[in-house]
Amino acid sequence: MRFRSALAAAAILTLTAACGGGGGDGGSASSSNEPVKIDFLSLAWQKESVAANKQLVEEWNKANPGIQVTYVQGSWDNVNDQLVTQFAGGTAPDVIHNDSPALSGFASDGYLLDLKDKVPAELKGDIPQAAWDTVTFDDGKGAQGVYGVPFLQESQVIIANKKLLDASGARVPTADEPWTWDEFSEAAKKMTKGGTFGVAWPMKSPVNKTLNLALNFGGTFFQTADGKTTVKVGPEEREVLQRIHDQLYKDKSADPAALGQGTADPLPAFYQGKFALLPAGVYLRQQVVEQAPDGFEWVTLPAPKGTSAQQGAVSQTLSVAQDSKHPDEAMKFISFFLNGANQAKLAKGDWLLPTSQTAAADPAMTTEENGWDVATASAKNLVVAPFLKVNGFDEWKSKVATPALQEYFANKITIDQVAAKLVEDGDKVLERYQR
Amino acid sequence: MTATATRPAPPRRPRARRRGISRQTREMWVLMLPALVPVLLFSVGPLLYGIGLAFTDARNTRVHETSFVGLENFGRLLTDDEFWSSFQIGAIWAVSVTVLQFLAALGLALLLNQKLRFSGLARVLSVVPWAMPPVVIGLMWKLVYHPDAGLLNDLLGTEVNWLADFSLALPAIIVVGIWAGMPQTTVVLLAGLQNVPKELYEAGEMDGAGTWRRFWSITLPQLRPIIVAITSLDFVWNINQFGLVYVLTQGGPGGRTRLPMLFAYEEAFRYRMAGYASMLGLAMAIVVLAVLGLYLWRQMREAK
Repeated sequence: MRFRSALAAAAILTLTAACGGGGGDGGSASSSNEPVKIDFLSLAWQKESVAANKQLVEEWNKANPGIQVTYVQGSWDNVNDQLVTQFAGGTAPDVIHNDSPALSGFASDGYLLDLKDKVPAELKGDIPQAAWDTVTFDDGKGAQGVYGVPFLQESQVIIANKKLLDASGARVPTADEPWTWDEFSEAAKKMTKGGTFGVAWPMKSPVNKTLNLALNFGGTFFQTADGKTTVKVGPEEREVLQRIHDQLYKDKSADPAALGQGTADPLPAFYQGKFALLPAGVYLRQQVVEQAPDGFEWVTLPAPKGTSAQQGAVSQTLSVAQDSKHPDEAMKFISFFLNGANQAKLAKGDWLLPTSQTAAADPAMTTEENGWDVATASAKNLVVAPFLKVNGFDEWKSKVATPALQEYFANKITIDQVAAKLVEDGDKVLERYQR
Repeated sequence: MTATATRPAPPRRPRARRRGISRQTREMWVLMLPALVPVLLFSVGPLLYGIGLAFTDARNTRVHETSFVGLENFGRLLTDDEFWSSFQIGAIWAVSVTVLQFLAALGLALLLNQKLRFSGLARVLSVVPWAMPPVVIGLMWKLVYHPDAGLLNDLLGTEVNWLADFSLALPAIIVVGIWAGMPQTTVVLLAGLQNVPKELYEAGEMDGAGTWRRFWSITLPQLRPIIVAITSLDFVWNINQFGLVYVLTQGGPGGRTRLPMLFAYEEAFRYRMAGYASMLGLAMAIVVLAVLGLYLWRQMREAK
């Protein structure tokens, strides 16, 4: 007996020692003449954007032999699952590309480095405070910190089939004078005839889209009182929900086939002229440019306005891991990567709006071609999305709001039922995070 | 393993026997050690760790102090509507996939067992899905179900968004589950069919038994142990299915295809409730063991 257990113990000891040795080697090898190594997790996925990212990394590596950056490709589909695992296992990359809704959770869990005192003044001044607000979060102990550098923002626009738009005789909206929601619904009705629909709402992931647009009528969906956040669905929140629902089932001006689809899925039907208007994020223009058949004419229209034209904004961000061994070098890389000139390149590659004011002034960002002027002009309507600061928003979104909104837009439940679900089930979820 | 370990030492070594452990037993353990250590280290260890976690409030965060909470997670599980609806979906999925898969595979196996032309080729083709990883199967079927460019809508002339429809999504993934798991079942059943002695059929024919009668009274009883084995394996495999459904629907629309394993995954890696997710895993393991135990026990009893 003793012999056996002794042998087993010895074997386990050797094994663990071997594993421990293997893991420890990586960190201790940073002597003075060896370059510092930094991993950069990038989520760029459009071809041009991946190219722009890689090119900037290459440029940096050439200019800074002492700080070598390794480009690591990630994917938006599973980045947060991946990061949870990597953070827990201590193998997270140093520089992390993500978006601001995800940062709130990682920040309060203590995985991200507070960059408040690390961001150089030049970079700080180039990005407006409204964008910094999208990355300022509670650190889990009551203090506020800056947990990323915001660099790309998405706004909602309407991509329109020019022929159908002109044929309908509806007023063509401009950045200074967008459609009101009433005008928008009226125009959609006019365009609906003979098997062609006015608009298509791809609502596979309805939450961010509706919540961002709900701000048009001042709908915030969350309220905080006495440090306790609860869900609220009042008349302001219902406006946009009801209007989209009306287009689908009252006016019948929205294509029901698109309802269950992801944002880019209705594009083939759009090119075939099955519907005229596609509300979407500005980035979708890239796919239209690339895939639309020859001779297909399209324009970018600003999103409709309610009591205001405000939209909720989230940012793409670069953050530094709390456990990174080289936080200062990582910050240096970020400042280079996100300077005005480079942000313009990244924005162009991803067809999104840069936060940098220098980049926004770049002629490539204001040209009429491919709707850049309308897209860039919409940036002024972006305000911090209220749900950004809600701890537990992600769980509310996928467990409560996504199914409830999907059912509502599928006309399976009424607006009162969806409101009740969002509030009652939602508060239960949020409670878990406020203990 | 136990049988070998407790076998008494051969009588010609009386001295070794007196000392408690025979040399043979000791040698056996030494030889087994290289195989045993990885099993302990990578299977039993994490399993025990996971069971331990299930009784704590562990979270996947850097700042959280984990503490022991006893059965709190279990209590929450019992009152969690989300869990029960996911469990119900899991049960529908596992039972219908296993049963339908078995019926389809039995039919296919009987067909392949006939002396038809090209039966060799057909046998090879029927195993093809086996060679594909679940993720590839998922992606392939996603294209089949695609609302605009999908094969299925083209064939039927419909415009249904199969994977996003609240009532069609679950049946749609069940079909994929059946398709993906059929090869194993078919191959095993086919092997079983080929082991049924020919004499039994000849004798049956002499007694004037028709095809149906021969199938019912000879083939099925002969296949019985194989059927029990393969359906139980399929059931465990199906209820623990993850990759296929994750690729196809990620549990959507509105949680209508959220199998228990997807639910546990979300709890652990999206909401970072590691303790609760471990309890979910533990509960599922217990359920699977209970169902399987009951099924095997009944089958064994009937077989006697």
